[in-house]
Amino acid sequence: MNDKNPLSPHIQIYNWHISSLISISHRITGIINIIIITLICFWVALLLLGNTNYELIQKFFETYIGKFVIAGTVWSFSFQILSEIRHIFWDLGFGFELKTSNITGLLVIFGSLVLTIVILGKNLVL
Amino acid sequence: MINATKKWIFLKISSAILVPLMVWFLFNLVSFYDKAYEEVFLFFTSQPTKFLFSLFIIFAYFYSALSISEVFEDYIENEKLKNVTNKLLYLFAIIIPISTLLLLYKLSL
Repeated sequence: MNDKNPLSPHIQIYNWHISSLISISHRITGIINIIIITLICFWVALLLLGNTNYELIQKFFETYIGKFVIAGTVWSFSFQILSEIRHIFWDLGFGFELKTSNITGLLVIFGSLVLTIVILGKNLVL
Repeated sequence: MINATKKWIFLKISSAILVPLMVWFLFNLVSFYDKAYEEVFLFFTSQPTKFLFSLFIIFAYFYSALSISEVFEDYIENEKLKNVTNKLLYLFAIIIPISTLLLLYKLSL
């Protein structure tokens, strides 16, 4: 008997729906976030090298690319936070109906954009 | 209880803990990222930031390792390759947070 787990069908097979878009985006932002958190860990390590070396990091964040990285980080974290909250509601048994699932999916997409603007706007990053 | 159930429970508990920590870190990140060395140093080495940041990276790596291993489970067919990638992933998820925490606590001395 073949006891191997079946693989998931690859994403090209599916027609795009809100649910599939959120699902794949949740996985992608999850991987992006752990890369960002790893870079933040290196950032902490750089503090050990002292003020002179740190100025390079400070100058990078003053550039448009640096600000884009921060804006991207805020969106990616916001998306993951809202998507995780959606998953927690599912785990509690709420929001499985197709209409509700589509609405919460849209809330995750637009909510993450609104949250990004609110957080960045609050700190006048852009 | 089978391993898959335990893994799912750990994943759910860590995600529930991680959500407020992510919100906390995000709001702080945008307020200090472009600040001078002294301010960033103070942010990472003072309490309660140091404690909350430690929890944040521990749970972030724990959660990520479990969820990324699910992605491997879904898309890697070769068992040997899957085992190697999972082991590397778990090693990475242990080494990076531990080294960062050691550095962070060394910075505070």
